Amino acid sequence: MALAMLRAQKSPMPGFGLGMGITLTMLSLIVILPVAALLAKGISYGPEGVWNTVNTPRVWAALYLSFRLAFLAALFNLVFGTLLAWVLARYDFPGRRIVDAVVDLPFALPTAVAGIALTALYAPNGAFGSIAKSMGQKIAYTEWGILIALIFVGLPFVTRTVQPVIAEIESEVEEASATLGAGRFYTMHRVILPMLLPAALTGFALSLARAVGEYGSVIFIAGNLPMKTEIAPLLIVIKLEEFDYGGAAAIGIAMLLISFSMLLVINLIQIWSRRRIGHV
Amino acid sequence: MFDSTLNEPFLAPTERATHKWRPVTEESPLVRALLIAVALGGLAFLVLAPLAVVFAEAFAKGALEAVKSLAKPEALSAIKLTLLVAAIAVPVNAIFGIAAAWVITKFDFRGKAFLITLIDLPFSVSPVVAGLALVLLFGSNSLLGGWLVASGFPIIFALPGIVLASVFVTFPFVARELIPVMIEQGRSEEEAALTLGASGWRVFLTVTLPNIKWALLYGVLLCNARAMGEFGAVAVVSGKIRGQTATMPITIEMLYNEYLSVAAFSMAGVLAALALLTLLLKTVLEWRHADQLAATRRH
Amino acid sequence: MHIEIDEIAKSFGATTALHPVSLAIPSGALVALLGPSGSGKTTLLRILGGLEFPSSGRVLYDGQDATGMSVQERRAGFVFQSYALFRHMTVFENIAYGLRARPRRSRPPEAEIERRVTKLLELIQLPQIAKRFPSQLSGGQRQRVALARALAIEPRMLLLDEPFGALDARVRKELRHGLREIHDTTGLTTIFVTHDQDEAMELADLVVVMSMGKIEQVGRPQDIRARPATPFVREFIEA
Repeated sequence: MALAMLRAQKSPMPGFGLGMGITLTMLSLIVILPVAALLAKGISYGPEGVWNTVNTPRVWAALYLSFRLAFLAALFNLVFGTLLAWVLARYDFPGRRIVDAVVDLPFALPTAVAGIALTALYAPNGAFGSIAKSMGQKIAYTEWGILIALIFVGLPFVTRTVQPVIAEIESEVEEASATLGAGRFYTMHRVILPMLLPAALTGFALSLARAVGEYGSVIFIAGNLPMKTEIAPLLIVIKLEEFDYGGAAAIGIAMLLISFSMLLVINLIQIWSRRRIGHV
Repeated sequence: MFDSTLNEPFLAPTERATHKWRPVTEESPLVRALLIAVALGGLAFLVLAPLAVVFAEAFAKGALEAVKSLAKPEALSAIKLTLLVAAIAVPVNAIFGIAAAWVITKFDFRGKAFLITLIDLPFSVSPVVAGLALVLLFGSNSLLGGWLVASGFPIIFALPGIVLASVFVTFPFVARELIPVMIEQGRSEEEAALTLGASGWRVFLTVTLPNIKWALLYGVLLCNARAMGEFGAVAVVSGKIRGQTATMPITIEMLYNEYLSVAAFSMAGVLAALALLTLLLKTVLEWRHADQLAATRRH
Repeated sequence: MHIEIDEIAKSFGATTALHPVSLAIPSGALVALLGPSGSGKTTLLRILGGLEFPSSGRVLYDGQDATGMSVQERRAGFVFQSYALFRHMTVFENIAYGLRARPRRSRPPEAEIERRVTKLLELIQLPQIAKRFPSQLSGGQRQRVALARALAIEPRMLLLDEPFGALDARVRKELRHGLREIHDTTGLTTIFVTHDQDEAMELADLVVVMSMGKIEQVGRPQDIRARPATPFVREFIEA
């Protein structure tokens, strides 16, 4: 990015040079250079090399598993997160403030802590796992365990994007719906939910992006069986431990592409809703 | 539709009608109770249960065992390292966040949207990929990394790498909290101070900083919690050298894999307590300074 | 429809919005509830529409008690001060909303809905805007769409809360005539809330002057102007 492009329009405000200097230096050192190094490694490896690494049953299985379970987890969070946002924004009940804080726990709790806690809970000898076992089911070390971990880490996103939108809905819009003869359910379905949809989809995409790349909370509960419960980020770690930097870079680039396309989708959702509704 | 009240003398509305009536913007009490029950039940099941397990497992053999496991040299070195990493990464991110928010909100320039996208990028990159990128740039078999190792300043498998990884994953936190607040507050106060002859630094310290201090604290809290708890990126760059580059989350993994359950969960309990403290402070901040933070909740 | 307000009072917690007020509104009248902010006029309108429940007293529609009737049952066409158009729906979908929300057995077929919406768009003299979203309309257009949406449900009365409040002076004058015409075409009992005495005096058959939750005077505009009943009315009319 050329610095000339970033020159500010004439302004009496001081500190542009210093602020922009710090911003660009840090951005380059921490984010741009490493990501560029990753892409460069991919290029030096050659598109064919990248493709040959990715195009193996084990990598496809891992990418498919990561993406599929992340999608399901985000879908669950879309529904439950919206419900949670509604309850927190609209209803007053004892302890509401505490519940509101608890929603953020998956953001604040380190992923490794969440990982071992969920494993302890859902392992065959754990509190929930033993119940499942008595019914002949297994949760930890199966796809179900991964799904639960991904739901956990993505839980707050939808709630946190939807909650402020609910708070901004004018009560007159809901009243208008009622004066036109609509019952509460119809109003919910046709007026309120469509108004929440852009924010909910943004939260969904954030939750999905987080879940696709999640590592810490998953590896403990996943069982990590190749072709079965091995997630894509774990494959990168395995390649690195084998000093196969090219292979690791190839999978990393594949995941980066997935992340970028999801960023793009988030931005498109926001542009689309801004056009239609006037604001996000 | 019209019942016997038609023939009654003018009276207050019937008891039945009063009881039945509720504002049209509300759900029936039954639906309301059901939704609250689902929300609370879901949260208890998904979030509170894992939290409770951490402390239950840590204290499985009594509080003494838990404390003893934390007093071991390996555990102490992990705690020291994590505190050191946070002590570097958090101020670095705070300075970056303030600088970025300042240029983004106080100036108009081309490419601003692109700059914001770049700042947000670490949110959507897998921590493992972030760690991998750092290894490829600074690792001993890269050009830059080889030279750094030869000059006696290794980054990967050493403290600088862990700091870089922690800064990467927490990169947008402070800027993200500050930008909406500073947009909301506009530029007029700073402009007024400038016309009164204040210098740039003076304007920042006496006008801007007091206006953003709670949002800044809020961002720093989130940044700190994430920096101390980062696992994926650190796992890749640290080399997991016991007693040297093993942070608290990495130590938790090692202990857990060695079936040292009490020790693993005791350390997890320390981090969980830190998370709870963060949430408590955040709640207090939101409650006491709701006006200033209102803008940050809308992004 | 003939509307009777019988000793209606409303308090929100410790504050009293309406002292017991009584008022008879003849069928087909165009009535203005006129008063400064805090006079209780909007509260009274919302009670008529079923959006608030009175603390005491009754509302009678054609002599029958409608106090406990739900908003949906009342079929009162309500135009909100902010218009409260549905932002995610086109103008067409906004106007068709009330018809589509009906239970299946009384819902008109889609072709009939389209015919009615088209007719209403002609009535408000905006036949071209069916496919636009509210954010693409001017303030005056939004107000007329809100009016058409309220009329689509074949209301038994029309209630408008400061219908011209958010418009600039020129558009406001224009739309006053529009409302008068629509009232005369439909013959609906129409009640609107305003704080603008010119608007009330020019437009209404009957003006109800309110202050501090009480009705100060009810009468034809010329009578109120000629014989203000209280010092408050005199001062407010002259302002």
